[in-house]
Amino acid sequence: MNTHERIDRDLSERDFTVVGKSVKRSDTLEKVTGAARYAGDVALPGMLYAKMKRSNIAHARIKSIDTSKALALQGVKAVLTHQDVPRVLHAGSPHPRSASVTKDQYILDERVRYWGEGVAAVAAVSEEIAERAVALIEVEYDPLPGLFTIEAASDPAAPPIHENGLGQNYVLPPVFVTRGDVDKGFGEADLVIEREYDLGRPTPAYMEPNVCVSQWDGNGKLTMWTSTQSAFMVRGTLAEVLGVPLNKVRVIVDHMGGGFGAKQDLFQNEFLCALLARRTGRPVKMEFSRKETFVGGRSRHPGKIWLKQGFTRDGRIVAREARVTFNSGAYGSHGPGVTNVGTAALTSLYRCENVRLEGRCIYTNSPIAGAFRGYGVVQTYYALDLMMDEAAEKLGFDPAEFKLMNAVREGDMAPSGHPIVGHGLVDCIRRVMEETNWHELRRREKPETVKRRGIGIGCEMHGSSAYPGIKEQGNAIVKMNEDGTVTLITGTAGLGTGAHTALSQIVAEELGVPFEAVSVVQGDTDIVPWDIGAFASHTTYLGGRAAQLAAADVRRQVLEHAAPLLKAEPGDLAIRDGFVVVANGSNQSLRLSEAVGPQRGMPAVQLVGVGTYMPTKSYSFAAHFAEVEVDTETGEVAVLEVVPVHEIGRVIHPIAAAGQIEGGIQQGIGHTLSEDYVIDLTDGRSLNPSFVDYKMPLSMDMPSIRTIIIETAPDPGGPYGAKGVGEDPIIAIGPAIANAIYDAIGVRFHHYPITPEQVLNALKTKANETRQ
Amino acid sequence: MNRLVSMTVNGEPCELSVALNRTLLDALRNEGSLTGTKKGCDVGDCGACTVIMDGRPVNACLVLAAEAEGAAIETIEGLQPAYDKPHALQQKFMEFGGAQCGFCTPGIIMMAKALLDENPDPSEDEIRFALAGNICRCTGYTKIIDAVRATAEELRRAGTL
Repeated sequence: MNTHERIDRDLSERDFTVVGKSVKRSDTLEKVTGAARYAGDVALPGMLYAKMKRSNIAHARIKSIDTSKALALQGVKAVLTHQDVPRVLHAGSPHPRSASVTKDQYILDERVRYWGEGVAAVAAVSEEIAERAVALIEVEYDPLPGLFTIEAASDPAAPPIHENGLGQNYVLPPVFVTRGDVDKGFGEADLVIEREYDLGRPTPAYMEPNVCVSQWDGNGKLTMWTSTQSAFMVRGTLAEVLGVPLNKVRVIVDHMGGGFGAKQDLFQNEFLCALLARRTGRPVKMEFSRKETFVGGRSRHPGKIWLKQGFTRDGRIVAREARVTFNSGAYGSHGPGVTNVGTAALTSLYRCENVRLEGRCIYTNSPIAGAFRGYGVVQTYYALDLMMDEAAEKLGFDPAEFKLMNAVREGDMAPSGHPIVGHGLVDCIRRVMEETNWHELRRREKPETVKRRGIGIGCEMHGSSAYPGIKEQGNAIVKMNEDGTVTLITGTAGLGTGAHTALSQIVAEELGVPFEAVSVVQGDTDIVPWDIGAFASHTTYLGGRAAQLAAADVRRQVLEHAAPLLKAEPGDLAIRDGFVVVANGSNQSLRLSEAVGPQRGMPAVQLVGVGTYMPTKSYSFAAHFAEVEVDTETGEVAVLEVVPVHEIGRVIHPIAAAGQIEGGIQQGIGHTLSEDYVIDLTDGRSLNPSFVDYKMPLSMDMPSIRTIIIETAPDPGGPYGAKGVGEDPIIAIGPAIANAIYDAIGVRFHHYPITPEQVLNALKTKANETRQ
Repeated sequence: MNRLVSMTVNGEPCELSVALNRTLLDALRNEGSLTGTKKGCDVGDCGACTVIMDGRPVNACLVLAAEAEGAAIETIEGLQPAYDKPHALQQKFMEFGGAQCGFCTPGIIMMAKALLDENPDPSEDEIRFALAGNICRCTGYTKIIDAVRATAEELRRAGTL
């Protein structure tokens, strides 16, 4: 069928009937026929349309807001300003993580902290009237100094953007991670490399703009359809800020059009939409334009990484020191989590016993940085892997061999403090080298033509689940119906990855029923059990394990119930292909519908299993090969081919897993070569909030991708050994490309994105240096 | 001031009362209750709203509803030959994993339909060129290209093109 992805089944201690097969995804018929309902498709009788008034200044106090002209406009039903909404300090990133949550947001404040922050909202009978009313709202500002860079904001003399008492506009106190003796390590080094890496501001640019619809019923209960990865977080934060109990807030997410991490936050719109609906007594829809999705959305954290490492002549890393500084933008959002995770990641990937790391996150008056696939690790491993390439050359090693020599191995301490399971990274690097004939390609002639080719390898590892930063929990309920079919009720959100299909496969496997016998109920906080949300590469790992536990509970009940019918002990029974069978080979069996259905006029037995899972941590690994072609006349870099090798434990659905890898590579090519959301450093204005000006790799830019998945290090914590895959690909591709550019033109860049202009300038500088 | 616009949508005659500045996209989604066509940018950059108008693919957000007077419009909702039978493109997108979050999918499938109507045997480059105005942020395009190519093969084999 599919010609691209290949799975190496190195470990097959048991045969699977459903797991590991690319069954037909349960959500795709609706998607390909246009029937899938996204939040923006919800239309209710009498529905009003809401729009947000956004600031045209980056840092100011609001002196006054005059809404009279807006309210006087025919068709306008309500206007809200900071004077009309509850003033409750809340977290933009509402996870229950005591260590890394920053309560620094109000629904609307009397102060604005970035250009484009919401200052008022209007509900009207049409979107057009709402937009006209927004233009009629007059806001008078008292400007405050705009602090747009890390340097400006972290100056001790700079005014605080938030009064959190930390000084220097810290979002959180600096993070320190120390292992071993770094000074001693540097003393033993034969080679020391020290560099600063500069990181741009890519954004997730999910296709579905942020949107929500609110409706209150006669009992004071709010129903909200919204595009979120964490429905229960939205419910909790809405309840807390609006002052209503949890059973009076119902959040519904049928389908969502991508999130890539960012849609864990609330974006002012959920509160304002709900309050406008309450004020007017009518349902209200609030949909962001694409421009608003950029301006009011969340980006990856831009920043700087200063990295210094000591190496010995025989190729060991004896000391690693780093200072990671991230720009959080106007609010904390995921700043604490990203800083902790990104900084701690530098303890690992390539072995080094002596490590001293510092992580900082700084408020600035720029758009909010939040969670985005790769979560701080994209940034720090870009720096680490680029320096490995440089060190390999200086020490006379092949870069792939050098990475292989230093790759983390089984039992090494991972960033989370857990011992690593298996030799996943080693396996990935080896497989990339075999698959691409690495050494042969490296020996290839390099003619000094206009277009020059180069190859590179980039590596990564990433945790499934956010432990220990967050103690996570996933829950599932599995019911077996009296005809032997199964209903899975899961809290796991459907981000578009195919998670519900994977969960159904796991349940089918556990219960011994065909995949088609399992249906899924999801996406409604009134019905499904609590779930922390879809992020941290954990939906299959966490939600899948919870579903497996619930299914195992049902299986136990089924066997207990069927045992007397088959005159056997429950321990001698199994379920296979929809039959309860006696495992001793006596050929006795009972169709599931007969085993659990109504008997002699008596109602069927109730079979309900509950699974709760609180994971710790596992790590997935990848090594990516990239071949690029650099046009030395235009500076353009074309990625010709990518060969990603991923070790992700047991693969539940190969096509869906490969889809994650290929999509992550697309976004990673973007941030490495073209994607940068640019802020005017004089006034904080967004300069490219559109798909025309924010350049993403599209169908013509994307190379062929030869995806290889290996299963050499299944994790005992995941269902059937499955680990995460969502974030891994976006981390490894960046360094693979940057290293390939060096191989092509002999220029090492220490930043992203690497634009054609910079390539040309660097080539010019290099030519001048050669001439001298 | 609204105006009555008559068009054919998925083979059915259809009269919509719309403002003169209403886009075809908003008219289809709101007055037409056909929400399968998606709004990703509303300014013609992303292709999520691609529909076929008189045989040619258009961004419905760049066409005024009034301009569609008398036109034949095809949307994703009209693609299935029967309610219980997906179109070959829909089938292949499911098989090959061409849809992830699904938000760009209706637009991409309509663009691919327009391509295959015109060119039953497109090369990979031709498929990539045809989809150059359709942004997908989930898949890396690999599986979309595979799905379109496989559809073309199947349709050629079945002789329906």
